[in-house]
Amino acid sequence: MEMLGNLALGFNEAFALQNLIYCFFGVFLGTFIGVLPGIGPLATISMLLPLTFHVPPTAALVMLAGIYYGAQYGGSTASILMNLPGTPAAAVVCLDGYPMAKQGRAGVALFMTTVASFVGSTIGIIILTAFSPALADVALAFGPADYFSMMLLGLIAAAALAQGSPAKGIAMVLLGLALGMVGTDVQTGAQRFTFGIPQLADGINLVALAMGLFGVSEVISSITRMRAVAKQKQERITLRSMIPTRDDVRQSWRSMLRGSGVGSFFGTLPGAGTTIAAFIAYAIEKRVARKPERFGKGAIEGISAPEAASNASAQTAFIPTLTLGIPGDAVMALMLGAMIIQGIQPGPRLVAEYPELFWGLVASFWIGNVLLVILNIPMIGLWVRMLRIPYAILYPSILLFICIGVFSVNNSAFDVLIVMVFGVVGYAMMLLRFEPAPLVLGFILGPLMEEHLRRAMLLSRGDPMVFLSRPISASFLAVTFALLAWSLYAAVRAQRRARLAMAAG
Amino acid sequence: MNAKKDWADVIGGLLLLAGGLWFMSMAAGQTMGTLRRMGPGYMPMAIGVLVVVFGLLVAVPALFRAGTLPVPEWRPFATICLSVLAFALVVEKFGLVPATVVLTVVAALAEPKLKPLQLGILCLALSAIGVGVFVKGLGIPVAAFRWPV
Repeated sequence: MEMLGNLALGFNEAFALQNLIYCFFGVFLGTFIGVLPGIGPLATISMLLPLTFHVPPTAALVMLAGIYYGAQYGGSTASILMNLPGTPAAAVVCLDGYPMAKQGRAGVALFMTTVASFVGSTIGIIILTAFSPALADVALAFGPADYFSMMLLGLIAAAALAQGSPAKGIAMVLLGLALGMVGTDVQTGAQRFTFGIPQLADGINLVALAMGLFGVSEVISSITRMRAVAKQKQERITLRSMIPTRDDVRQSWRSMLRGSGVGSFFGTLPGAGTTIAAFIAYAIEKRVARKPERFGKGAIEGISAPEAASNASAQTAFIPTLTLGIPGDAVMALMLGAMIIQGIQPGPRLVAEYPELFWGLVASFWIGNVLLVILNIPMIGLWVRMLRIPYAILYPSILLFICIGVFSVNNSAFDVLIVMVFGVVGYAMMLLRFEPAPLVLGFILGPLMEEHLRRAMLLSRGDPMVFLSRPISASFLAVTFALLAWSLYAAVRAQRRARLAMAAG
Repeated sequence: MNAKKDWADVIGGLLLLAGGLWFMSMAAGQTMGTLRRMGPGYMPMAIGVLVVVFGLLVAVPALFRAGTLPVPEWRPFATICLSVLAFALVVEKFGLVPATVVLTVVAALAEPKLKPLQLGILCLALSAIGVGVFVKGLGIPVAAFRWPV
């Protein structure tokens, strides 16, 4: 019953006109940038972070969240029509969505991905609503040592589950931690790594860092990639062409549910993210299918399962972010950053201290998802036309919004220079195949971890055994260790296989 | 010995190694403190050491396997970075509109697809949006035009 009361409170808040407008704006923009390849939710959320200084916290978070899950809806459109994923998670949808479009079934594919998105999101939100308060209650018993171990687990998980080798992932986490050290030390007031530059005394601006790493480097790498797009032609999508056959529905409802389950689970894990959820859901569908050879040739389960999974995980990713203050991926890290900017300390107290914010946000997810169905089914023609905007016009605009946005945070041209520096770093990382997401996670969690570590050591009088003697902390460390051991084993096995293959070939 | 190396990881690992060493040298200038009362240098030093370790973990195995090194797209890279730099240098001295025009023109050089007229229209439109939304709408304190005295 308490849940209904909470939801009523939330809907009351979410239906406030201002929040409704920001919710609509968020999901609209989310769909827009989700549809367009070459700009993703990360870049957009970093671009709009400065805007949130001017709006109340609930409205700001409702909007940013709307961009995130809205992009999951839009992401599959370009995958289906152009074989070019709009968001990383939608890359899986290319596998069967583009063949469907070639068979003239693009409309059905677009319709089913929207339905799958809605089913996945709904299940994700139900889980979010049911489990968050309980988890927050548990987390209230955490001490500084427990927090430190939990954050360590989050960082290691992000590094181990990221694409590429775990050593590179951990290296990026460490680089993020190092960058997080820049600025004034909170406890002693000492200036660290500021080189006497006054603008660095408050640390590196998160908005500038994120925009450089995700925005500028994405623009640089997209310019040549987008040449191919301009040459493609598009067909018209009519509402009639979207109606699925009875077979389509029969084949996909089970896979939607399976995908939602997979997605909900992976969303709650720190560091897993929507892309991994979508890929795993696809792999599972292929394994349980009676005729796996249909996959890759336009199997409808191949689009509905990953689409449900990515949306479900986009919703459940809010569970650790809102209740523990531990972001699951880089987008969630930016959401945390937005809360900190607004003066809200994320963590287990959030649900109890800001119930209107928490439940308002959850309620806005329901509203946003209904809006998204309306945006994506009757209005699909609009988005298909959006794909014709030439990138030559789009990218200078993106760059300009990045620059003005960063500048407006502190009215500082210095921050725009920081964007350029991290644009260079981000592009170099992209070329050398280092993931930027663990870096941002480390950057945001670094200062918090240092604070908890120092407090824990002070409380234990310098005895590091405190991390093992507290049961909560010890279990987090055990999971961290197991994860490290597993990823080490997997890396060694992969290397040995590669060597054997090379010796054989 | 195999002559082939995974250059991407070798370079990445060495960069991390160098960065970590530099970070350690900077951290050495701070008070370390004790485990019980950590000084401002404690965490940075620990992280610096770990960055060095992981730099080696990335670089050393890469010496013994083959790999590819992606070629950078120099033209978009240089022009895009230059355009952001130009915006940063111009915006405070000359105002938002000149900064917008400089950014747009330099960025357009990355992929010269727009005709001069189209580029002019884009500059005008973006300037209007910038001034309308950010200066008038959100009220960020930056002038549209400014003459340095």
